[in-house]
Amino acid sequence: MPERAHLEDVLKTLTSARYADIRYTATHQQHVKVRNGEVDHLSSTVDRAVGVRVLVGNGWGFAASSDVSEESIRRTAARALEVAAASNLASTQPIALSDVEPFVARWESPYAIDPWSVPIAKKLEHLMNATEPMRGDARIHQVSGEISCYRQEKTFASSAGSFIEQTTTQMGGGIEAVAIEGDEFQRRTYPNPFGGDFQAEGWEFIERLDMPKKALEVRDEALALLAAPKAPAGRFDLIVGSAQLALQVHESCGHPTELDRAMGLEISLAGGSFLQPSMLNHFRYGSDIVNIVADATIPGSIGSFAFDDDGVPAQRFHLVENGMFVGYLTGRDTAPFIGRASNGTVRAESAARIPIIRMTNINLEPGDAKLADIIASTKRGIFVETNKSWSIDDLRLNFQFGCEVAWEIENGKLGRMLKNPLYTGNTPDFWRSCDAIADRSSWQIWGLPNCGKGDPMQTMRVAHGAPAARFRNVEMG
Amino acid sequence: MRNEHESCAVIERALEVVNAEADASYISIDHNITRFANSQIHQNMSEESAWLTLRVIVGNAMGVATTTVFDDDEIARTAELAREAARHSNPILGFDGLYRDNEPVPQLDTFDERTAAISPLEKARALRAMFDRGVRANVTFAGAYATGAASVWCGNTHGVRRFARMTHADATVIAVGANASGYATARERRTSSVDVGMLGDEATLKATLASHATEDLEPGAYDVILEPPALAEVFDWLNMIAFSGQAFEDGSSFFVGNLDKRILGENFTLADDSIDYMPFPFDVEGLPKRRVVLIENGVIRTPVLDKSWADRLSLAPTANAWHLGSPDHGSAFHLVMSGGASSREQMIKSTKLGIWITRFNYVNGLLEPKSALMTGTTRDGTFLVRDGEVVARLPNLRWTQSMTEAFSNIEAISHERRSVGTWYNMFGGTLAPIVKIRGWNITGKQEMR
Repeated sequence: MPERAHLEDVLKTLTSARYADIRYTATHQQHVKVRNGEVDHLSSTVDRAVGVRVLVGNGWGFAASSDVSEESIRRTAARALEVAAASNLASTQPIALSDVEPFVARWESPYAIDPWSVPIAKKLEHLMNATEPMRGDARIHQVSGEISCYRQEKTFASSAGSFIEQTTTQMGGGIEAVAIEGDEFQRRTYPNPFGGDFQAEGWEFIERLDMPKKALEVRDEALALLAAPKAPAGRFDLIVGSAQLALQVHESCGHPTELDRAMGLEISLAGGSFLQPSMLNHFRYGSDIVNIVADATIPGSIGSFAFDDDGVPAQRFHLVENGMFVGYLTGRDTAPFIGRASNGTVRAESAARIPIIRMTNINLEPGDAKLADIIASTKRGIFVETNKSWSIDDLRLNFQFGCEVAWEIENGKLGRMLKNPLYTGNTPDFWRSCDAIADRSSWQIWGLPNCGKGDPMQTMRVAHGAPAARFRNVEMG
Repeated sequence: MRNEHESCAVIERALEVVNAEADASYISIDHNITRFANSQIHQNMSEESAWLTLRVIVGNAMGVATTTVFDDDEIARTAELAREAARHSNPILGFDGLYRDNEPVPQLDTFDERTAAISPLEKARALRAMFDRGVRANVTFAGAYATGAASVWCGNTHGVRRFARMTHADATVIAVGANASGYATARERRTSSVDVGMLGDEATLKATLASHATEDLEPGAYDVILEPPALAEVFDWLNMIAFSGQAFEDGSSFFVGNLDKRILGENFTLADDSIDYMPFPFDVEGLPKRRVVLIENGVIRTPVLDKSWADRLSLAPTANAWHLGSPDHGSAFHLVMSGGASSREQMIKSTKLGIWITRFNYVNGLLEPKSALMTGTTRDGTFLVRDGEVVARLPNLRWTQSMTEAFSNIEAISHERRSVGTWYNMFGGTLAPIVKIRGWNITGKQEMR
């Protein structure tokens, strides 16, 4: 790890820069996966990087290296200046930075059992115990389970006088069963697909997931889906379960409230946003029971931290309040565009990447209804849960989600299981149709370690808290 | 970018300490990306990185570890991590060990000094000239101009050693007008083949075409004319859900049960070809690259496979390992769709009512993999074609379409083909023509209410 004095010495050499920062990261990952009674994948990765970001005139420059030696950091800083000079040459607009206080701080996400202290053999045994019970039926073509360990140590030093050290430790895990019969292909997962759920905790999180206990339920639902009728097309009242609604929040609220998207800075790859600055405080995003909050301070969540990669403290604030669009996720160089200060959401995948606006924990606040009462008060509807597919347009308006499973609701009671449910809609129409949000008893925070954005693509670890909620007259199929 | 001698030294040290059957890849890259939006460079980066991946085989079971630090202690630690992983893994059924044959690899032109040396300043000047032209055309530009130079060393304990350098130049340009946008892209080995200014002009044309005529369209099945970037995004998904060794082995691919059967249109041929397109001579297991036909005149031929999954499935390896130990067990990184005899103009002229689509957004291929049912939206240039003419712009449209059906319904294929890059693929890209497909299912549209 580079010495503080060395980083500060390098910063002092960047005299032509209006602003400069240096980041160092060491990212450790371990991934264990079993499939059909065999170890499918077992890998370890250590990635070290240093990145230097400078603002010269109205040009940003960034340089990075996987060589983290003192000499390399000096060379990297010189390259950053060269790149910034090139940006400044093509500059057509001024760049302003919102103010930031200097901080000297150290932060670590807490955990009880260090993920790396648990032997690989124990992880494999746990996964075998969670997946072997699912095998046996010839229609179960594949069972698998995986556990991921992640730790990132990060050092940040800036010309604003900050020196911040942060370490986050995270774990994730999940199981799945794939059932195939003829051309019918069904997948059921627990607790979520794509590696499961992820939290900023240690091995205690994997124990709490208790995947072995869920194995037979996952298998049985995968088999039941083979014979289940297809979810119907048409308009229905839709109850969306917590895990699926978390992804709905991610795609239809989290991304469109990223100010860089709204400013057009990401349109070449990720797209723009229908939420334009002129709509702040004036646009009805959802019904008046919809409250969506960004909160980077939630203990134990993978979207939490103490300071962002601008050196701005983690914060909690509304994006949607009582249905009205009231806030963006911002950084120091974007917040001035809307006359505000940064709310601390700029992060990079590692020191090798440019920090950009990323979601933190973007949460739909719980309502006051029991989920059972919401179901009981639904005359004809469909309950969907667990994401299978996701797609949304470049402004985050028209979306289509597929789920692993659905159940029909008739006269307030959950009925038959349905396969291949798809629902589609328009973001503000959808959220305005929300007439019931379940209370905290169904609220859960879900870790998504694979949010993609930027060029080169950066995979960010974010999270979403959501309860179940009901949406009226939603198009299915 | 590390030179051949430095790279070789890392590989040799890694294979020396491992004390077991093993292979290793060492990739170093200098990557420069200039991103712009609102006709301003807003992100400009230069990255030098290198990583060593070591795969160890113990009793036909494998373990993998990767590091970015290359001193002796770290390499030894990485080797031990890989060994430990292998000890805990199960033997791979049918696997007869790492590649041994050491056949000669094709001699290919993979590196361009000028592309490796282009400076941020040169790129900024080219972009500034494009920005200035945009002012005259009343558009602003967004996009990215990337160049990179990489060296790839791989080897194994059976004496296989491979080294190659490669460069790439990749640009995407979106022109943004008052109420419409247009898109153009290119990816080549040489920056001289990627003219940012011309891409800006092409994107501007798309952004301003039929800009005063907008129409709407009801959901339904329409003839569509798809430009290469739209096809490339569909192929990216097919790579994951249909072409990979893993998708074939786990039964989710529509290739399963259909090898050597014609299930797609006779005019559809798709190959993995790094000999003629974005050339590269070997995969990271050291196997020589060759043209591998995945779909030949509608007949399913083979998935793409690394050696271990080829052995497991009793199929021939196809030299498609791009990361040692990848759970995909093969990816097609040089997809080439065969061209036809038609042209964009002929396709438009032959269309009574249809849609001309520049590119897709946020395609998802996980809906029903057995039929490759996908959904996505259009963006940056969606046009209504009526009675053989482009008559209006359309809003961005949602579609939901089975690709096995679509590639059975190709009416025309252009002679012209374009190279399109993908974010996850530093080695190659997709070379695709323009195609006209009958009966593409439009299911919704982008609409602000």
